[in-house]
Amino acid sequence: MRDPAQTLTEPLLALQGVTKRFGSLVALSKASLDILPGEVHCILGENGAGKSTLCNLIFGVHVPDKGEMRLRGEIYRPTGPSDALASGIAMVHQHFSLVHDMTVVDNVILGQQRGLVNTRAWAQRLERLANDYGFALDPYAKIDDLSVGERQRVEIVKCLIREPRLFVLDEPTAVLLPDEIASLLAICGRVAAGGAAVVLVTHKLAEIKKAANRVTVLRGGRVVARSSDPAGEIDALVRAMIQGDVKALDRSAASTLGVGEPGRVRIGDPPGETPTPEAVQIDGLTVIDSQGVTRLDHFTLAIGPGEIVGVAGVEGNGQSELAAVLSGMLEPSRGRVFLGDLETTHLGPKEITAAGIGVVPEDRHAVGCIVEMSVAENIFLNRLDGFTSFGFLRRKELVHAARDLMARFDVRAAGPDIAFSALSGGNQQKAVLAREITLPNLTFLLAAQPTRGLDVGAVAAVYGHIRAACQRDAAVLLISSELDELMAVADRIVVLYRGRIMGNCAADPRERERIGAMMAGQAQ
Amino acid sequence: MTDTVVNNRLDIREWVRPSVAISISAVAVAGLLGLVLIFAIGVSVPDALSAFVDGTLGSPYAIAASINRSIAFALVGIGFVIANRANLVNVGGEGQIAVGGIAATAVALYGGAADLPAGLPFLVPLLAAMIAGMIWGAIPGVLKIKVGTNEVISTLLLSFIAVWLLYWCVQSPALLRKPMTSSATLPESLEIPDSTKLPLLTGDYSFPVNIGLPATIIIAIVAGVLLSKTLLGVQLRAVGFNSVAASRAGISYARMVVLALGIAGALGGLAGGFMLLGDQYLLKDGFSSGYGFDGLVAGLLARGSVVGVIAAALLFGFLRSGGINMEMVAGVPTALVMVIQGLIVVTLAGAAYFIGRRS
Repeated sequence: MRDPAQTLTEPLLALQGVTKRFGSLVALSKASLDILPGEVHCILGENGAGKSTLCNLIFGVHVPDKGEMRLRGEIYRPTGPSDALASGIAMVHQHFSLVHDMTVVDNVILGQQRGLVNTRAWAQRLERLANDYGFALDPYAKIDDLSVGERQRVEIVKCLIREPRLFVLDEPTAVLLPDEIASLLAICGRVAAGGAAVVLVTHKLAEIKKAANRVTVLRGGRVVARSSDPAGEIDALVRAMIQGDVKALDRSAASTLGVGEPGRVRIGDPPGETPTPEAVQIDGLTVIDSQGVTRLDHFTLAIGPGEIVGVAGVEGNGQSELAAVLSGMLEPSRGRVFLGDLETTHLGPKEITAAGIGVVPEDRHAVGCIVEMSVAENIFLNRLDGFTSFGFLRRKELVHAARDLMARFDVRAAGPDIAFSALSGGNQQKAVLAREITLPNLTFLLAAQPTRGLDVGAVAAVYGHIRAACQRDAAVLLISSELDELMAVADRIVVLYRGRIMGNCAADPRERERIGAMMAGQAQ
Repeated sequence: MTDTVVNNRLDIREWVRPSVAISISAVAVAGLLGLVLIFAIGVSVPDALSAFVDGTLGSPYAIAASINRSIAFALVGIGFVIANRANLVNVGGEGQIAVGGIAATAVALYGGAADLPAGLPFLVPLLAAMIAGMIWGAIPGVLKIKVGTNEVISTLLLSFIAVWLLYWCVQSPALLRKPMTSSATLPESLEIPDSTKLPLLTGDYSFPVNIGLPATIIIAIVAGVLLSKTLLGVQLRAVGFNSVAASRAGISYARMVVLALGIAGALGGLAGGFMLLGDQYLLKDGFSSGYGFDGLVAGLLARGSVVGVIAAALLFGFLRSGGINMEMVAGVPTALVMVIQGLIVVTLAGAAYFIGRRS
């Protein structure tokens, strides 16, 4: 896939055989890459493919072990972000670095000027800039009062005001609403049209279709494919990224990448033929935090056996509180929860587990597992007492049972005695799922952001296990900030906004815009 | 990346971390520095050394005195290690020894323990000492789970309370002070009845090691097994590493905290009971004599290993005995022994740091 444009234009930035190691891990291996002025160049790859390392090398956070970088033909060897900035390279990181108590304009001025500051002049510049790129931004708004999308715009403005020649964005769309994504891609387009180069790191193909002029695919630290016609070669790119055939990929997992039609693969009978009693009944659940802020506001929902209900919403709109209450970690201020006839509102985690509620927590490391302990201990953490006699742990039996579950759930580890921290994120999540789904009396599975940070293979496995639970007639509540995921897995979707249910609709791709609007707080 | 295997077995290699050789050299370096100090203050080094050896190994009596000290250090240290598995730091050994001593004295003198059938006259006061220590240890646990008080602060402050409680007990005739026959009556309790004194292992007062020694060995083994083989051991570890995840998995944080600190307190109380019933026979001010803090240091240095606690406890026990003799015979101030002990802590901790960095 040689690019003819390369011969016509001199590359702005050229990487030649760049290698970066961290200890024994080769994060980037002999990567070569040209970035041309005026293009949006997407870097595509799964988690751990080396995308962030590549960005950090360009931005001077890391120094390459081998190979060289050339900026406009001259050797470019940054030793820190300040070198990169001085060379006209700006970067928006995955995690924002804004001072929350300060205004937008103050945040922009920070680090750009010393001595006396004319805030009003800066504010005017800001407004002009935002205007040029087609979005609105109040220079005097406090960061605290801005949405995540608006905060990202502040980060972008911080970069653009330097008039960079190369603009790098690391996974910028992960936290955005659908229409915010569209607006971000439009900004990228305008920046490129102005003659600068944009490097956009992503693992979502839909974005590539919309915005990319050229694509470079990384896998395992190597460049495995390039394309200057990304929209036309999308299947080949996916194949290169995941080293497999798109057709063989789980349909739902593929749709979360933006490949193929989102659509649920329903196994078993369609619901609703005979009226079944609700498995889970949540009534007016309300959580008011210690500051008096209402985090969850009269959340009411019924889930039938074998039904998967998705909870959509931008993070921080009450999802964490909902999950905490349902898993017995938080006492609600008002409202009740029933599992069949059993009221579980005030039960602790132990009783919740005993009642048959499996929980996959959103924060795997803080709540889902104890990384210092072994895989076997983690995989049975909530029922270790089943492996004791007279208080002594029957360790052989525990390890044996763990080995069985690890095989059934494809948890890849050197053995059950290995520390949990040695497992990859995907395998850790599979182990947590194994623990929660194999509860002997599972009637309700609560899964919060179950695929966060996982690569495609693991995502498909997680979906498979969630569906298997639903086939066993468990009610499933799937909380996710990925709309595609909910479309692919859930039967119906409720949308949370500032702790309230904004609406209830079918998991139908045609509802996407309506859901997007509700996620942004517009009643439908 | 190499995989780290979580070690669950009663593995001898785990019991003697950090590497024995490095620990021994750290002690040797500290000892040498001590000798330099002794030389510097103008005391003849050979005299001081021979006094030290006499005080530790010179006679059966000296050995027994060292062992009795070590027992108290070991019990407090084991308690520290158990609480530390749950990521709790018990610095209340001193107070737990004091309340243990008070309870044992009270029951032995006025609880009618002396007239009980064989064995019970000393077992009942020991039990009382353990219960008193357990309560003293569990109070910070309850405070921690109810109002979030840091246990380092509360165990330490409760120690001061206990030490002054002991002072009050031996000063007030209404409490444990012996009947005032004259203005010269010392502020201490009566001597406990013979039947409540701990039986000596050999029956020979020239080697006064009592049944506290085998009891402590058994307790050390039980503690090792508890930590490595039982469900409780795993649960303590789980709470220690990640209390939120443990609690989500149904392991009660509150229960573990109170239990771990309660056990540590009970062992501290038992140490006080052994000291009173097996060694001192009467309660007086300063009874706990800093043993709680030495035990704490033994627990700290052992870095989670029960065998390590025993080693450190023996080291400190003999060091203390030798130091006392050095002062009496060679005129070396006891403070210097404290300095050497401090040097050992610093060199061992430094060695442990380097071992940690290397691996």
